[in-house]
Amino acid sequence: MVRRDTAGLVIPLGLPLLLLVMNGSGDSPPVPGLDGMSQQLAYVLPMVIVLTIATVGVINMPSFLATYRRYKILRRLAVTPARPSMVLVAQAVVGLAQAFAGIVLVVVAAAVLFGLSAPADPLGLVVALALTTTAMFALGMLVAAVSPTPNAALAIGLVSFFVLMALGGGFGPRGNLPDGVAAVGAYLPFGAGLDTLMAAWTGGPLDVVQLGALAGVTVVAAAVSARLFRWE
Amino acid sequence: MAVIEVRDIHKRYGDTVAVDGVCFDVEAGEIFGVLGRNGAGKTTTVEIIEGLRTPDSGLVRVLGLDPVRDHRALRTVLGVQLQEGALPDKATAGEMVRLYRSFYADGADPDRLLGELGLDDKRDTFVDELSGGQLQRLSIALALVGKPRVAVLDELTSGLDPRACRDTWELIEQVRAAGVTILLVTHFMDEAQRLCDRIAVFDRGRIAALDTPDGLVARTHGRGGASLDEAFLAMTGADDEGDGLDDVLGGAGLDEADRARGDADGQVWS
Repeated sequence: MVRRDTAGLVIPLGLPLLLLVMNGSGDSPPVPGLDGMSQQLAYVLPMVIVLTIATVGVINMPSFLATYRRYKILRRLAVTPARPSMVLVAQAVVGLAQAFAGIVLVVVAAAVLFGLSAPADPLGLVVALALTTTAMFALGMLVAAVSPTPNAALAIGLVSFFVLMALGGGFGPRGNLPDGVAAVGAYLPFGAGLDTLMAAWTGGPLDVVQLGALAGVTVVAAAVSARLFRWE
Repeated sequence: MAVIEVRDIHKRYGDTVAVDGVCFDVEAGEIFGVLGRNGAGKTTTVEIIEGLRTPDSGLVRVLGLDPVRDHRALRTVLGVQLQEGALPDKATAGEMVRLYRSFYADGADPDRLLGELGLDDKRDTFVDELSGGQLQRLSIALALVGKPRVAVLDELTSGLDPRACRDTWELIEQVRAAGVTILLVTHFMDEAQRLCDRIAVFDRGRIAALDTPDGLVARTHGRGGASLDEAFLAMTGADDEGDGLDDVLGGAGLDEADRARGDADGQVWS
């Protein structure tokens, strides 16, 4: 994985860690009931976790699949007994491994450097993580399905990523956005992932509608990309 | 029974007729050549046989299987080498052969196959570090690793030096000796003459002639002595597209009067 996509590892492993370290060290009041964990960390950690999943799912994965298509790798597989869908599954597994590595890295860093507390609602955290991942990966499949070239895949992936991140609160709290925009952002995968992860970690109630939005994006994006996907 | 049966297939893309009523049979153990210029319909015909494209009309059977309806069964008995490389750069030759072997229930031993193809010492070499000839032999290995009964090889030796071509030809003769029926797409006459039992010459979506290499030569020139090159050129007609490079490039920077004179000259010549 390192040898085949060195550049693709820089962002999911490097950027979240950098954001965490640069933002997590500020002086901010501790979250009530979570010993030592600051408000700042309670926001930045879930944000960089969602960021990691989004970079892998929406940027890396589609550019890989578009490259396979461009170089007719999928077409070659289509004339063997292998099903091309195996390639999608394999790519998703590689993406999961990348995202997992990036998340472990930031969580360990947050624990060692900033006294991160254990998540208040571990089960909720698992649900929020799983749904955020499926939603982002399904969006990535959609980007791969509609992109004619690797260059287009990268461009569409980056634009989608930044739009989701901006509306979801990745560049600062959504409270700074106009009300209507913030409301929409709360139900797009970045915002919904961020809020539910933050709630699970700090013990606030998980918003069922946001979890439902993540599940909805997963189902719709997966269905549409399955219809539109071209092997060549 | 013929191993490959092609009956009156037609295929068009929009206004372009790619294949216009092609019929032929390939017998068991034969090396059957598909010869023609670029755009003659060779690759479309072969892709229809492989099940990658559906013909607009007509019938194709490979070992009695319909390439579209029975594509799953066909995949296990048909080995394919595509015109383009289609392999990821940062995988090693050994990894690729083992990966492709894993797709088939029954297949050749990857290490032995690499050895037979002279890639023994390239097992741990990345695809993008292989030479053209080595890459071609690797793609042949991938076409053969599932122990196919029929192999389709598309532009096998394009871009290879003469030595690598000759080695590849010997290899193909060995594959045939092992009982594999081969459909060979090429636009090299010497390759077709050396390897093929019979050749279908494609021209503008149709088969202009179908015969043994010697038969094709005799057909155009009465008896031997001429080459397959000349026979091929006679059968596929002159290049009638465009007005020639002179007309396209000539006249640049000329004023109106010169251009008129140029046109007049053109008429005298034609």
